[in-house]
Amino acid sequence: MAFSISKGCSIKGISVCLPKTREDNLDLIGLTTSQKESLVNHTGIRYRYVVQNKDTNIQTLFQKAAKKVISDLKWNKDSIDIIIVISQSSSTTIPSIACKLQNALELPTSVIAFDINLGCSGFVYGLNVVFQLLKSFNNKKSRAILCCGDISSSLTEPDDLTTKPIFSDAVSATGIEYDELDERSVSYFNLETFGSGQNIICTETIGSNNWMRMNGIDVFNYSVKYVPNNINSILKFSGLIISDIEQIFLHQANELINKTLIRSIKADINLAPKTLYEYGNTASASIPLTMILHRNKLKPKNNLILLSGFGVGFSVASVILKIDTIQFSEPIFIEV
Amino acid sequence: MSEKEFLFFTAQEFNVEENSINLSTNFKNLSVWNSLNALIYIASINEKYNILISSNELASSNSLKELYELLKDK
Repeated sequence: MAFSISKGCSIKGISVCLPKTREDNLDLIGLTTSQKESLVNHTGIRYRYVVQNKDTNIQTLFQKAAKKVISDLKWNKDSIDIIIVISQSSSTTIPSIACKLQNALELPTSVIAFDINLGCSGFVYGLNVVFQLLKSFNNKKSRAILCCGDISSSLTEPDDLTTKPIFSDAVSATGIEYDELDERSVSYFNLETFGSGQNIICTETIGSNNWMRMNGIDVFNYSVKYVPNNINSILKFSGLIISDIEQIFLHQANELINKTLIRSIKADINLAPKTLYEYGNTASASIPLTMILHRNKLKPKNNLILLSGFGVGFSVASVILKIDTIQFSEPIFIEV
Repeated sequence: MSEKEFLFFTAQEFNVEENSINLSTNFKNLSVWNSLNALIYIASINEKYNILISSNELASSNSLKELYELLKDK
């Protein structure tokens, strides 16, 4: 168990950017009407947002989201110390998306910029990395932009009815601040890796394409076997119990998995908001997207929340953190 | 879990008549068997019996008898 505690870091703002085009699982070709209805009922996923122009660079979406969060937070760009991108659908292997964003967003050259190759656990992993780095500067205050998300449709084989109905395209940008005077922000992390599950979500190279393959049964098994333990362990480490947590934001995998996880950790299902029906599985953007769309469930101050991301790797990460007022930006939809 | 209970549970899961299946039934030959229904079945087994069946274990079982024995051994 990789437990860690972080003090003085907090989420200040979140924005998301999605393609404008929405596809309906009830319109899928290759399934009967009853199969499509069963798919929607059991996965909980009706709609997916899908990039139409296959030449779309994910940097375009990250740039919109990052620009929005910086602008809504009224942050001076020179006050930003770090930009980290978590994605697995970059159109180029080198250079990193983060380096391109430093230039496109006109961030100072003093900024630390790099990418992390992670999927659905990425938002919580990213928070952990950012929180540790921000404190390391020895500044009274420091700031970061954490970008997460994927154009999963670029990895989805058009006829693959295992992955296509599940994944949706979206990215997020989160503004994070360290303040040495902030004694209330204490976060408890538990990051874990179960590499034996590396093949349950992976890419397969066919010709010039890298198609994502997913073994739905084993994703279910790994999730149910490891995520509740990860969450229960961080609760124990922090000295809290599940009923202390005011809201639970789980990665939006699918209804079968999420329902089972909530039952396993004995949480109230009403405290775990969902965005699956309308938005599908948006990989590492799913937690920030769900936070934005259910922002009305958060109190203005002093919320104790739990975030848990899990998926490709097999990688699992949970955090318990206190949040105050967050600047939630309206979602941006763009024609791509 | 008795064999009868298991067959009743399985018939309900696949929405078929209880007397249309028995322990020698190859469940993968059922008309409703597909990857989504397999996942739903595995999730239901977990919910009812708190047992996880991997995709390899499912692949190596053909008859309901083999699956029942697997569940009993877990």
